Amino acid sequence: MALRILFLTNLYPPFVIGGYEIACAQTAEAMRSRGHEVQVLTTWSHVPQETKTPEWVRRRLDLHWYVPHMPNQTLEARDLHSAVCSSYSNTLHLLDALTNFRPDVVSAWNLTGIGGLAMMDLLNHVGVPWTLYLGDRVPVDIAANVPADVRGIFNARGGEVYEQARIFSVSQNLLDEIEAESSISFPQGADIVAGWADLSQSLPHQPYLQNGKARFVAASSIGPHKGTELIVEASAQLQSSGVDFSVDIFGEGDVPRYVDMAKRLRLEERVRFLGSLPYTDLLRAYSAYDAFLCPTWERDPFPFAPLGAAGCYTPPILTRNCGTSERLVDGVHCIKIERTTEDLARAMAEVAAGRVDLAKMGRAGRRLIEGDLSFERHLDKMERAFEESARPWEMLDDPKLPLLLFLKHNLSVRLRFG
Amino acid sequence: MKSAEKFRIAHLSPAYFSPDSYVGGGERYVDYLAQSLQMVAGFEQAIFSIGPDDQLFLRNGIPVRVLKNESSHPGMTNALSTRLWRELEGFDLVHIHQCLTLFGAFSTSIVRSLKIPAIGTDLGGGEDPQMLRGRGIELLDGLISISKYAHNLVGSHFKGPHDILIGPVDTDRFVPASREPSANAGQILCVSRILPHKGIDRVIAALPASLSLTIVGRPYHQAYYELLVKMAEGKKVRFVLEADDDALLDIYNKSAVFVQASTARDIYGNNIAKPELMGLTTLEAMSCGLPVIVSDAGSLPELVTDDRFGQVFSSHDDLVAIFEKVAAGAWPPPEAGELARSHVISHHGLNAIGVRLADFYRRTIASKKN
Repeated sequence: MALRILFLTNLYPPFVIGGYEIACAQTAEAMRSRGHEVQVLTTWSHVPQETKTPEWVRRRLDLHWYVPHMPNQTLEARDLHSAVCSSYSNTLHLLDALTNFRPDVVSAWNLTGIGGLAMMDLLNHVGVPWTLYLGDRVPVDIAANVPADVRGIFNARGGEVYEQARIFSVSQNLLDEIEAESSISFPQGADIVAGWADLSQSLPHQPYLQNGKARFVAASSIGPHKGTELIVEASAQLQSSGVDFSVDIFGEGDVPRYVDMAKRLRLEERVRFLGSLPYTDLLRAYSAYDAFLCPTWERDPFPFAPLGAAGCYTPPILTRNCGTSERLVDGVHCIKIERTTEDLARAMAEVAAGRVDLAKMGRAGRRLIEGDLSFERHLDKMERAFEESARPWEMLDDPKLPLLLFLKHNLSVRLRFG
Repeated sequence: MKSAEKFRIAHLSPAYFSPDSYVGGGERYVDYLAQSLQMVAGFEQAIFSIGPDDQLFLRNGIPVRVLKNESSHPGMTNALSTRLWRELEGFDLVHIHQCLTLFGAFSTSIVRSLKIPAIGTDLGGGEDPQMLRGRGIELLDGLISISKYAHNLVGSHFKGPHDILIGPVDTDRFVPASREPSANAGQILCVSRILPHKGIDRVIAALPASLSLTIVGRPYHQAYYELLVKMAEGKKVRFVLEADDDALLDIYNKSAVFVQASTARDIYGNNIAKPELMGLTTLEAMSCGLPVIVSDAGSLPELVTDDRFGQVFSSHDDLVAIFEKVAAGAWPPPEAGELARSHVISHHGLNAIGVRLADFYRRTIASKKN
């Protein structure tokens, strides 16, 4: 059954924060390839760069937060409100999309930055079937940053606003965290749709530890939460131990800080910052590395990048209790570490010393990603869920709906700021 | 439209008539309006209000549900409860009282989201910019105004169905005592909250030595109350600051003429917006068979359609002249009390208002369904 699916997301490639947005784009594009009629409603982005955007991707929404080239602390409370609670223009754009595209189902992804709460309220109001893919703790961001009386305008004092949605979560870890920090438990249930990797563009792996040198790679946002500091510090320990190695770090973020740090620790020849690469290029690049470094923070819901590396025969070294760890077995598909410089350095040294059977671990990783965590399997699950969620609905013929959205938006601003 | 089953009506008000909440005409109006609908078959009602704690009690057989205030903004008309999302499920129509306040705007957004027909009434609690210039008022399916004056204030913002219902008054409760009117000769009565815009100072200032004045009401403005006490020195003026309904009825029945002197510009020089949307105490007094003197502020002149039972004044000199006629026995005429009561029963009584209210509710529900 061909569906009309409206994807709603804060960012869309080429501008992304991480795996959450890439996952959305991959799913949207794949659904289109499978014959569904897809429209994506996303932001125009804040980077003055020409992009090749297909006509079915509508860059209409304004982005009030997570602006890639601006640090968050420079933004004011009002922007935060627009980001997590209500942005009238964005809500109107969603109303336009619902009116004109008439989707069978709306697939909502990361709504932080575009006034997601008001948008979810609108989806409930018009009665369109909708799903919410949780790749991060969007409900916690809303509960923590929007006062209770303001949330009440959108029927979100508790978890009511999510009750009509079919919920997907990238990990049980994430659901547990959302419940612990916001008391929202999704009584309708939530499907765990773990991350995946699309290996269609990957290359065969090159020989491991060529010329006795260990080549490590990392790919993520550059910052403390992703463990960039740990990588640089562990590299210093390896260097002082006389290990022959290199670390290439892909991604964007607070690069100058870590370039300085690497210089200070005399690691310029060991640690390189190489900027960001498109997803498929990144997968091809993994074939030349021996292990993937992912000392991310414990509450990282589900870093996707280690899966891509594992699927390309490049075993990940990753934080023991991050979301992705739910899917990988220590010593079989990956090396799990405590999130400390010492434990990371120890694991890197083990790899460099040849004490880990990287080829065997790489093959196991590849099998896992091709099997349980394959992109096709994920798509089958999502497609089935979209079909199950879709049901006849009629767009309300209510010329006063924009006025109701206007009142709610202004009330939210007034209650929040006086 | 439902035929056999009853329509479920919810009244929303930011406060309820009680010393625990607020004792004002707006709050009493909600009680009266609900009572008037009780006179008509086919409706089931509940009153929802906001307070410091949850409460549930019955008043005249109507459940009053007080929801805990969740607002981060102080002030009675800023009170709100997000629990309305759940509490209002299943109602056929919601009547939002004090609709031009933050409470009203918040409640309107929820009721409209629930797709329940909504009717609004301005009881003078505010001029919410989001409801007026922001056009939130257009989200209402109907508007009931408590006077022509009140309707004129919002008429330019709302073009939908509306009605003007002045009252109601419980004419079975506010009844004249069986006594000779002459027994109360010279007894002037003023009943209102003691606030500058009520213009009580004007009554004291115009009061001749031959007349006695009783002022019934709670002081809500200490400096103004102290000013009145000072002005009353040397005159026959009595303050009754606490009077329950029975005591008030007794006072009505021991008076000869009722005065309501609200003003658009108070004694301190402040201009008052919406000085009097409806003089409920004036109607109560008329129901007790009292002739009335009202100022020309707001809606008050609408209440006195016959100068035999009602006089209107604009200035101090006007009021002095009317008081002189009262003192001289030139006004009111003997039949004034009966005329006043008869007028109130036929136009502003519980039954008269209830029938019209029921009709408006039914039409609104039917229109929304269509």
